[in-house]
Amino acid sequence: MGTIYIDGKASEADPKQNLLHACLSLGLNLPYFCWHPAMGSVGACRQCAVKQFKDAQDTRGRLVMACMTPAAPDTRISLQDPEAVAFRAGIIEGMMLNHPHDCPVCDEGGECHLQDMTVMTGHDYRRSRFPKRTFHDQYLGPFVYHQMNRCIQCYRCVRFYRNYAGEDDLNAFGISNEVFFGREQDGVLKSEFAGNLVEVCPTGVFTDRTLRRHYTRKWDLRMAPSICGHCSLGCNTTMGERYGLLRRVVNRFNSEVNGYFLCDRGRYGYEFVNSEQRIRAAQINGAPTSVTEAKRRLSSLVAGGQQLIGIGSPRASIESNYALRRLVGKDRFFCGVSDGEWERTRAMVEILQAGPARSASLRDVELSDAVLILGEDVTNSAPRMALSVRQSLRQQSFETTQKLRVPLWMDDAVREIAQAKRSPLFIAAAGATRLDDVATATYKAAPEDIARLGFAVAHEIDAKAPEVPDLSGEMRELAATIATALTGAKHPLVIAGPSCRSISVIESAANVARALCDNGHSAALSLIAPACNSFGLALLGARPMSEALAAVQDHGDATLIVLENDLYRQLPAKLVDGYLAKAAHLIVLDQLGNGTTAKAELLLPAGTFAESDGTLVSNEGRAQRFFQVFVPEDGIKESWRWLGDQSWSSLDDVLSEIGTEIPRLASVIGAAPLSSFRIAGAKIPREPHRYSGRTSITANISVVEPKPPDDPDSSLSYSMEGASIQPPAALQPFFWAPGWNSIQAVNKFQSEIGEALRGGVPGVRLFETSTGGGYFDGIPNPFTRRTQEWLLLPIEHIFGSEELSAHASSIAELVTEPYLALNPADAAGFLAEGKPTVVEVAFGGLKQRVPLKVLAELPSGLAGIPAGLTALCGEELPAWCRIERAS
Amino acid sequence: MSIVENIAGLAKGMGVTLREMVQPTEVENYPDGPGPERGAHFQDRFRGAHVLQRDENGLEKCVACFLCAAACPANCIYIEAAENTAEVRISSSERYAKVYNIDYNRCIFCGYCVEACPTDAITHGHGFELASLDATTMIYRKEDMLAPLPEKKLPETAGATV
Ligand code: SF4
Ligand code: SF4
Ligand code: SF4
Ligand code: SF4
Ligand code: FES
Repeated sequence: MGTIYIDGKASEADPKQNLLHACLSLGLNLPYFCWHPAMGSVGACRQCAVKQFKDAQDTRGRLVMACMTPAAPDTRISLQDPEAVAFRAGIIEGMMLNHPHDCPVCDEGGECHLQDMTVMTGHDYRRSRFPKRTFHDQYLGPFVYHQMNRCIQCYRCVRFYRNYAGEDDLNAFGISNEVFFGREQDGVLKSEFAGNLVEVCPTGVFTDRTLRRHYTRKWDLRMAPSICGHCSLGCNTTMGERYGLLRRVVNRFNSEVNGYFLCDRGRYGYEFVNSEQRIRAAQINGAPTSVTEAKRRLSSLVAGGQQLIGIGSPRASIESNYALRRLVGKDRFFCGVSDGEWERTRAMVEILQAGPARSASLRDVELSDAVLILGEDVTNSAPRMALSVRQSLRQQSFETTQKLRVPLWMDDAVREIAQAKRSPLFIAAAGATRLDDVATATYKAAPEDIARLGFAVAHEIDAKAPEVPDLSGEMRELAATIATALTGAKHPLVIAGPSCRSISVIESAANVARALCDNGHSAALSLIAPACNSFGLALLGARPMSEALAAVQDHGDATLIVLENDLYRQLPAKLVDGYLAKAAHLIVLDQLGNGTTAKAELLLPAGTFAESDGTLVSNEGRAQRFFQVFVPEDGIKESWRWLGDQSWSSLDDVLSEIGTEIPRLASVIGAAPLSSFRIAGAKIPREPHRYSGRTSITANISVVEPKPPDDPDSSLSYSMEGASIQPPAALQPFFWAPGWNSIQAVNKFQSEIGEALRGGVPGVRLFETSTGGGYFDGIPNPFTRRTQEWLLLPIEHIFGSEELSAHASSIAELVTEPYLALNPADAAGFLAEGKPTVVEVAFGGLKQRVPLKVLAELPSGLAGIPAGLTALCGEELPAWCRIERAS
Repeated sequence: MSIVENIAGLAKGMGVTLREMVQPTEVENYPDGPGPERGAHFQDRFRGAHVLQRDENGLEKCVACFLCAAACPANCIYIEAAENTAEVRISSSERYAKVYNIDYNRCIFCGYCVEACPTDAITHGHGFELASLDATTMIYRKEDMLAPLPEKKLPETAGATV
């Protein structure tokens, strides 16, 4: 830290940063556009001008761009200098020359960085009387709405899209006053992170297309901190609701997890909450019934003397799973996923708990400087991680940058220095991945061979790790290259997960991480979990599903309770039919109608993350709490409320009971403050102080203004009244500060710009490194292809493979049709005159007709079907299948 | 000095009083007078029940920007927005107010909403007979406040394209 002087006042500043960063970190208001804390400075907009003085004697000074000037010790600047003030006002006026000034009809209005900065500079009157430049707007797909006239040419969008997210179909076209930001032609944006443009663009050029359908201003939203439930990464989000409808999701900054960005599945998946398929009322044998009647039926079934069997869920909160486990007894609580998935999930938890390698947060991923990915297409299985991996590729080039004394925030220079130099990234996967374009080397193979490669790398690093028998020379060479790259890095990282449905792949990743750690490297390991709370369920403990069938059979008249779980997606349909037919009674709690709910005798409407509170454990092992945004009108309740004990009056009671009953989950209660937490005696308001229409929202029902609903479960209130100072980070309902209406208000809540929120890092980490365990030695035999059969593997898709988000209408537009993929050579035999055909896949007595798709990168001998998108999605894969051309 | 000022002030005030005394008296014949206001007279600036205006093409001027609702100190304006489509065009912009309610139990006729409106869609009319024994009738819906369609027949295509 050094001392800089701002308007004569001495302040501390980080000399490694620029002046804009320093001023904002000090809480000063300095307008800016093109600089972004995650993307650095390019000095494009000229909005952040300040006066810099040579020394204390210098009174003339000169204008500099704060974002392009280092905050070196003894720097003297003035923000208030009249010349600087006039310059900044002039810049805004210039930007506004062509601006449509249509805030009332602009979706950005009320949370627009341009509005904020315009007000900040004091520009309030348009003098120009000349016509404005106009552009054609493009169709950019179901997520992002384009209104090009509002552009101020800050270049943030293309910098994010191309440099940060690594996709190339968005660009700047034209020259001088006519620069157009969009695609060459109308069309769906290719990047899985396109939704971030909505937040990155400081104006209303890119706005949330789903929000348009049920538009509400930010100030009118009731908001709550939430956790994305659409994959295992646990990105932090803010949900916004009005009039009982979930309106949108935006990013909630968490320095350790998602930082400033989300993936499109997480941003747009929310619409399933408003879906037609929602279960909104309890049903008995398909007929809607009242809450009272449902409760009566529930207690009579539970007390009916029959054996209770509970089936938990990897997508339900710890609390809901615990409530079920408690109700049925821990010996009759089953995990709800296939034995294979359960085994892999438990293995991953054990590895992370026992292993010497640190379980990587997304920030760790970003800061690692050599990455090995085994068996995952992270963009499709844990999307946000792909963005972090892309940033990690820059780490090694930073060494040169530092040698040349170019500060890291000087984005263009740093990228210029790096040229095409990237940190090593090796990807071994059973097909193409979306990160292949930046990988040092890729290896396409069957799961067995991916695992063998992993084991071989571990052995190369540490001779004590088991050696892989019959290794081909080529593979040995690749393993040696990977080993050299990993050991040569300061922070090597290994990523693996369940996509290959192979425990060996996971174990081989654990070996690599262990070999690195045992040899003095500070390696991190990131294991992707199959669902948002898979690790939470594993820590809670449950019995495998194969034993559930035995239990149902033993008690001919068992009552089965299924918690937020479509068993047909988890287990072979025949098996599920068997379970359900044998049970005397079937109670199902869920949010959306599905195959399992269709068979329920008693169906209870469960709250989604928008209508309930609970805790999820992310793949990092971070327990994070999500909070209810609104109280649904009908009987929808948290599953833990339906199933819970009468004595539980709030979430705190559940959590403290979990803490006593299950010591390994004792710290989960600390994921967020308890419901008794108050700031100066007041709750934290979910609504901004400008929330409008409070007295008239329910006037159609009663003219008496109702008391806002109570929230026994959290220290958030359903109103605009309450504490207005910064709450603990886990309870931050939204970011707003005077003069900062846009999402960039987050500046005002960070300890330092881009660093942790002043209220701390939300969540608690449950996995810390330890020194137990040893190497795995279950090295599989190499994959040998068969002549008439193919090894069928699921292929993960960001849009569609996850159950709930696939019901969001915008995402549904991008979900792929079911297909069977083969590599070109294998497919040749099935193509009719080279044209696409429909084939019949058969295995284990099942048959399914699907169109054939040729995938160049798929290794020969493998066949792929989209995960979660066909009737086969419950089958245990990989499996050998036969393929025939359908007549 | 101050005595002189005081006397001057007093004289000025009394002057107004005396002048009014000799003016002809004007009696409001409400409610038996002529016209829709039944004899009541208002200054133009009188803030009565609101009118939601239409533009020259008969389209609603309100673009559902929510600014009136945000400005309202009584929090009594309720708006639900919807998008105009090529088939159904209600306002000239992207959105229109699908629902627009004002709760006159709470409105204080402050005019902030009118001031906030960027399109001059919401205005104060001269409607003043709002009293009711039943509070539930005091919620005015958009249909209650909307200006009537202009007399002039619209061209066939108006409203279909913009
Ligand atoms: S981009 Fe911002 S300033 Fe421009 S019209 Fe939209 S809200 Fe107004
Ligand atoms: S579209 Fe937005 S982000 Fe891109 S240059 Fe224009 S204002 Fe900046
Ligand atoms: S990466 Fe996963 S947790 Fe993060 S936003 Fe996307 S789906 Fe949600
Ligand atoms: S006149 Fe005042 S109180 Fe009445 S609706 Fe308008 S802003 Fe609200
Ligand atoms: S923010 Fe400094 S020039 Fe744009």
